[in-house]
Amino acid sequence: MLPVERVIGEEGLAVCQQDNGGKALRLAMRLPWYRSLPFSVVEIGPLSIDGRQIDLGDALIEYDGARWPLSENGEKVDTFWFIRDSAFLVLPSQSAEVGSSHEVSLNLFVSPPYIPGMKRTNPQTCTLTVQAA
Amino acid sequence: MATNANDTASGPQTGVTLYSFTNEFLTRQFELDTLLAEVARRGLGPNIEIIGFQNFREFPDVSDAFAERFREMIAETGLNPVSCAINSDRFLKPGQQPIEDAALVEYHKRQLRSAKKLGFSLVRYQFALPVHLLPEIAPYAEELDIRMGVEVHAPMWAGHPAVQAYGEMYDKLDTPYLGWIPDFGGTASRIPESMLDAARAKGAKEDLLDKLTEVWLEEGMSHEKAAALREWGLAHGHEPLHIQAACLAFFILSNHDPRSWAALVDRTIHIHGKFYGVSEDLVEEAIDYDTILPLFKDGGFTGTMVSEWEGHAYDMRDAFEQVRRHQAMARRIWGG
Repeated sequence: MLPVERVIGEEGLAVCQQDNGGKALRLAMRLPWYRSLPFSVVEIGPLSIDGRQIDLGDALIEYDGARWPLSENGEKVDTFWFIRDSAFLVLPSQSAEVGSSHEVSLNLFVSPPYIPGMKRTNPQTCTLTVQAA
Repeated sequence: MATNANDTASGPQTGVTLYSFTNEFLTRQFELDTLLAEVARRGLGPNIEIIGFQNFREFPDVSDAFAERFREMIAETGLNPVSCAINSDRFLKPGQQPIEDAALVEYHKRQLRSAKKLGFSLVRYQFALPVHLLPEIAPYAEELDIRMGVEVHAPMWAGHPAVQAYGEMYDKLDTPYLGWIPDFGGTASRIPESMLDAARAKGAKEDLLDKLTEVWLEEGMSHEKAAALREWGLAHGHEPLHIQAACLAFFILSNHDPRSWAALVDRTIHIHGKFYGVSEDLVEEAIDYDTILPLFKDGGFTGTMVSEWEGHAYDMRDAFEQVRRHQAMARRIWGG
């Protein structure tokens, strides 16, 4: 897979602590393009884990010290995803044992904001071992 | 100490855009400082272009502290920051209306300020900027003392209506701060065999690639041709990912007369030496450099052609070696 195509980040899948004391799953994502883009032009999902489609209704994006609901991602016209950084998809309703392995399938759709009519699909599937964040 | 090549040049200069090293940068093999050092060590400069939104984390608004650090990198490597590629991001919400004109003008001004602060002498901008906004932006470029070149990129070429509309506005504004940046992908003679091979390696079938070649040669906008191939491909049972791999060609290459660049030489301030593969005997596989490059030398062009290897969009060849060959090819054709 080419660097400009991959969507699952090097940091993989981890269990992280939430502010409310609960736990969440956190998946690293890479931007499948050659330059940084505003988050508003990136459509995240669908996501499945071990063949099960994950409901992203309460999912959050975590990037560069900030967090926002995935449902607000389309409004992020002035928050740029730097091309070398991973962003993280946080799943408060999901959990997994540290050390367990899972098949993760993620798709990100990119609509470059200077090329009208282009929308690229970027599916990727990886087997990831859950880390402790 | 680096000098501005345009001040002393007697003919066209060579250089490189860091875009050529997209694979190496995305895979974190290099940071910006180590990539610049590698370019300098291999003698692929001194003239360079950088895409603001590729290599600068703070773009479109770089801080004074980062600008100072970047200027140190430039001083340490002896490179010459000629061109900063900026973007005309007009479609920030897919499927909705483009952003307001005033917001787009301000977006360009932010990037112009950053490019100037970083020490670049010109910016690359894009046709996604509607031509009627040029009278608002050009005076700002003059005030900052930084030139702007619109990239004539496939599917555009010298004879394209958008290029002609810009040319008319350029005549009207009559300022040396506005010019052209030809990208030779607009006058490709064929789809590179290396690109077709990459699509084959992904599993694309020959009849899809035959249809691609046929549609690619037709007139029309990139997204219309991509839609036509997508429709045909789906109807004939091809995988969506194979169709997407094939459609890449519509957005980065088009088939027009290489000699047509002659019409743009006078206002050319910089060149994207787009290429996909230069052989060991220094011939590009899809773009007729032997016809194109003499037009610029004979026309008095003394700016920089940056080598822009775009094979990284579909394979993992050694970008440094490809750039070395491309610059050697330019010297073969231009002499010196």
